[in-house]
Amino acid sequence: MTRILTRVGVVLLLVAVVGLLAAIPPGAAQAPLKITLWHAMGGARYDAITKDIAAGFSKAYPAYALEPLYTGSYGETVTKAIAAVRAGSPPHIVQVFEVGTQTLLDSGAIIPVTEVVKPGDIDFDDYIGPILNYYQVGGRLASMPFNSSTAILYYNKDVFQKAGLDPSKPPATYKDVEQMGRKIVASGAARAAITFGWPSWMLEQAHAMHDRPYADRGNGRQARATRVLFNEPFGVEVLSRWKRWADGKLLAYGGREYAPNKAFLSGEVAMLMQSTSQVTTIEKAAKFPVGSGFLPRIEGQSAGRSVIGGASLWVLRGKGRSPQELDAIAKFFKFIALPAETAKWHMDTGYFPATKTAVALLRKQEWFVKHPNHETAFKQIQEGPDTPNTRGVLLGNFVQIRNITDTAIEKALSGRLSPKEALDEAAREANKLLDEYNRINK
Amino acid sequence: MEGRFPGRALPYALLLPSIAVIAVFLFVPAIEALRLSLFEVAPFTGRGTFVGLANFRELVGSGIYRHSLSVTLLFAVGVVALGLAGSLAVAVLASLRLPGVGVYRTVLLWPYALSPAVAGTIWALLFDPSTGPMTVLLRAVTGLSPNWMMDGTYALGVTVVAAAWKMLGFNIVFFLAGLQAVPQELQEAARVDGAGGVRVFWRITFPILSPVTFFLFVMNSLYAFFEVFGLIDVMTQGGPGGATDILVYRLYQDAFISARWGIASAQSILLFAMVGVLMLIQFRLAGRRVVYA
Repeated sequence: MTRILTRVGVVLLLVAVVGLLAAIPPGAAQAPLKITLWHAMGGARYDAITKDIAAGFSKAYPAYALEPLYTGSYGETVTKAIAAVRAGSPPHIVQVFEVGTQTLLDSGAIIPVTEVVKPGDIDFDDYIGPILNYYQVGGRLASMPFNSSTAILYYNKDVFQKAGLDPSKPPATYKDVEQMGRKIVASGAARAAITFGWPSWMLEQAHAMHDRPYADRGNGRQARATRVLFNEPFGVEVLSRWKRWADGKLLAYGGREYAPNKAFLSGEVAMLMQSTSQVTTIEKAAKFPVGSGFLPRIEGQSAGRSVIGGASLWVLRGKGRSPQELDAIAKFFKFIALPAETAKWHMDTGYFPATKTAVALLRKQEWFVKHPNHETAFKQIQEGPDTPNTRGVLLGNFVQIRNITDTAIEKALSGRLSPKEALDEAAREANKLLDEYNRINK
Repeated sequence: MEGRFPGRALPYALLLPSIAVIAVFLFVPAIEALRLSLFEVAPFTGRGTFVGLANFRELVGSGIYRHSLSVTLLFAVGVVALGLAGSLAVAVLASLRLPGVGVYRTVLLWPYALSPAVAGTIWALLFDPSTGPMTVLLRAVTGLSPNWMMDGTYALGVTVVAAAWKMLGFNIVFFLAGLQAVPQELQEAARVDGAGGVRVFWRITFPILSPVTFFLFVMNSLYAFFEVFGLIDVMTQGGPGGATDILVYRLYQDAFISARWGIASAQSILLFAMVGVLMLIQFRLAGRRVVYA
């Protein structure tokens, strides 16, 4: 079964490649050198990358061209890149989400960004600390920061007003969520108080927000993690609180990733914890004024910082890259690091403006004054300490582990297992996967 | 009229393309899957460590896999039972001489023409926990607010109905053809003897339909095991809490999302064996009761 599908995929890919080659007119000696980029940007982000960035790059460097290809979800993009690496013809650049970081680091298939970009060509000191820190492993920058995000709280100002709450004040703590939520539901302003996307990422966020480790060995940053720690009392406490919200009809769980956005946008649910990459999309689609705030904290717990998510760009070695290809890649990275480009990407999507100069540019244009929701995430990641716990966890087999944790959260919320049982079960499975990963990647 | 090939070589030459296609796309991958199932494979390099039957042992001992197996059985039983019963009922109605019955028959075929992804999207929208028309209706009628993103049993129910609905058109076509082949004389004779409509159906029509029913039983079982991937992927992604985590979906997750080729290959071997055994049992048990009239 699996092999058949793989083969069919490879054949289709070959057909596509042959088709592309045939499309290049013969004798076009001056044809620009093409570099391929496989990405997972759907929705508003698709146009931003395929039209604006690709066209802008060609204009800035006529000798080069970028060929972006949408390869499905983040998970599928990684798998397709793996298949392409094994087939010997990977794209020059692949966009990989933070969950794939460890896998890519151990792949032997990548060229670290620091080897592609000549020193001084891109001022990496200009990058915002927490963003750079996530992709820096062992003191070296492995991949190019591109679309970094974090999670924030969105809320429906109309509903807050109707419920007799101050529409300029989002909840700051879990207790606030509970008190305000009860008012919202009791007043009938919305059917439920809160929902969230990316459930296991939210659990990761909660750990970072309170400076707790998610895995051993310095969150997997000193050496490869061998044990997850999300089933310790803190993780159980977080999930128990969510479960209480669900029991009290405050939480209307709406599925993984971006599925719950719909419940928020329809006015059914008053608050949404979701990636900041959705700011632009949500503001455009909402028929009510949208407010935003920091992720609520658990009262009486230590203070940390929200963690970086999103994706970065990895250079794949293939069978070796020519100096021209490497130069094209370096120029492309240089192009997306330009303050104007970084700022535009932020405005189009809601991902972080990753450099200080881009932020300064946005401030000069008074962007944040006009779009305060675009600034919330940015303010949030600048508050709090820089520790291994807030730099984000690195795990092998992380894609599968996220899936297991999602399942555990769903089992607990639906009452099939208690929060402790669900997380213990998930931790056992996750630890098995970590063992397997460490065994295979010696 | 006896056609003969002039030489011995020609028939083989004519068969060669089909055999080549089957070999390349079926046998080679199947053997490769069998080989991989004995290895633990590093995703990027493809380098494998021979682990013997460890992958199979892990699967048999894994709670997730066993849970997925029981979900699959439940799912398959639901889809086959609901699909066959529902389509037989509709087919009987559509075989009546009604004005405009041709239109009904054409329309009934439509669901089969939809791709699983489109069918999944339709059902997901219908039952969306916040905005779906079915949810709104259920809320108005029962006062409950069913959320299939959280309630596993409900999610399994909705996916079973969606999967059965998707096969409805296919089943109805075969049942309709079968119903039209039922000899009128037999039915008339039974009526003359004083049998009512229900009795005529169970004693005359249903036994004569048995070859069709058996064929559809096999096809629907295969469908429920192998072909519902798209529907599940669009609707529930195996959730909530693994409630719709059927074997093909688990296999997809391990192979194409997690790149654990070894364990995924072992799963495909196990799935193949299970369905093989299931088919054998079906042919042995049910096949005997079929009347080929």
